[in-house]
Amino acid sequence: MTGAFAGTLMNSSADLVTRVCQGDADAFRLIFERYSRPVISFIFDMVNDRGLAEELTQETFVRAFRAIHTMRAETKLSTWLFGIARNVARESLRARARANTHVDLADKSVMDLSDDKPVPVEGLLSKELNAVVRRSLAALDEDKRLVFTLKVMHQCSYAEIAAITGFSLAKLKTDLHRARAEIRKKISPYAGVGYEV
Amino acid sequence: MKCEVCRELLEEYLDGELAAQDHEQVDAHLIACLECSESFAALSAEQEIFARYDREIEVPPFLWTRVAAHTVSERRAPQRRWFAPSFAGAIGLLLIAIAFGVVYLRSRHKTPEPQVAITPSQIQNPDPVRQSVQSAVPTHRKRRPRIKVITKQPDQSDVLSSDVAYLDLEEQETAKHIEQSKMLLRSIKNVQISDNDYEIDVTYDKALSRRLLNENVVLRRDAEMKAKFPTKTLLADLEPFLIDIANLPDRARPQDVREIKERVQRTEIVAALLDYQDRGTNNR
Repeated sequence: MTGAFAGTLMNSSADLVTRVCQGDADAFRLIFERYSRPVISFIFDMVNDRGLAEELTQETFVRAFRAIHTMRAETKLSTWLFGIARNVARESLRARARANTHVDLADKSVMDLSDDKPVPVEGLLSKELNAVVRRSLAALDEDKRLVFTLKVMHQCSYAEIAAITGFSLAKLKTDLHRARAEIRKKISPYAGVGYEV
Repeated sequence: MKCEVCRELLEEYLDGELAAQDHEQVDAHLIACLECSESFAALSAEQEIFARYDREIEVPPFLWTRVAAHTVSERRAPQRRWFAPSFAGAIGLLLIAIAFGVVYLRSRHKTPEPQVAITPSQIQNPDPVRQSVQSAVPTHRKRRPRIKVITKQPDQSDVLSSDVAYLDLEEQETAKHIEQSKMLLRSIKNVQISDNDYEIDVTYDKALSRRLLNENVVLRRDAEMKAKFPTKTLLADLEPFLIDIANLPDRARPQDVREIKERVQRTEIVAALLDYQDRGTNNR
């Protein structure tokens, strides 16, 4: 880590927020350095489009900057940012749906992967496995994809997911369980195991 | 703990969301129950796949530049731009309106008589055709000599000069930016890279490039807003070079520097910057 990245670890998120509110531009850059990667990954998981993920990440940070003075002290910065990113991604998905664009995030070929033929993990190129995960994620409905992404891909706690999504604990647990079950059908041949949970 | 209960709790156990007591009970059950421990192993294997999931997505280097242009750069910009464009525009329109108003009122009331400047050619019209036409026209419809109304302008020195100074300042800022960028690219273009070089220290160039990059974004947007398209195009062409240099590590690999150097040479960006400087402000 060099240059602008060097100071990243030396500042707590709360300090950075305070500094941004006081007009410190460098502090906002450090926030960007720290959170842009998880945010762009999360948005990409939601919209499954690289270019769009970049645009929406930009929008997320612009909104964050404009509203950072409204952030409550007890709120975790990552939770707050994911909340904005979630809204930005959702607006984008809704806009695409309204425009009658057929948003077929799910590649139908992924359904063919859910047959019973065992495929050993060792024999599978990581690129293919990535593609399977990506398409499996895209095949989930929005709420399940949101909860699954936040929990499994970004290791958010249930409490954080509830804060980001506004879902009740019961709903998010149900969605998460169902999301796991749906994805399992697609990836179980690659995990080399057949099981039921 | 029964197997059904354990399996129901298994995902929450994996997620680390179980209460301490439940966690301990699942722990104990997994040690004793082969089936449940296999289920847990399957869940863990699944988790492993997600952990290895590579989206193949990176934060592109230009993203911060774009975000900064809409956030921190905007916040900085008003300090030097508070006067423009809306306020300066309003002042300008007001002055024009006052000038027109004065002209209109004076022409209606005719008192006091406006100062009239008549050119010699208008007094003694050298054009015989025009002269004959004018003489044929009835007196009351005779064309009045073209006059130049000299209205006494309000003292605008304190207002207009600020505006002009502001415009000058911006031009100067762009010119300075172009000059510095040109020097930076020249230094890259002229850098000597030998096969024995292990790494090249570009700390200074990198820091300079980062600063110029932020500046470039703001100036490019300004140029676009003010329809200075040649300036905008040049700055847009310049930006990828600044991004690439800004993203070099402090001690860059020779091949990375060589790539940029070759691209600078190939695209003749330095020549374009020079050409821009030579053309002066009128062609921007």
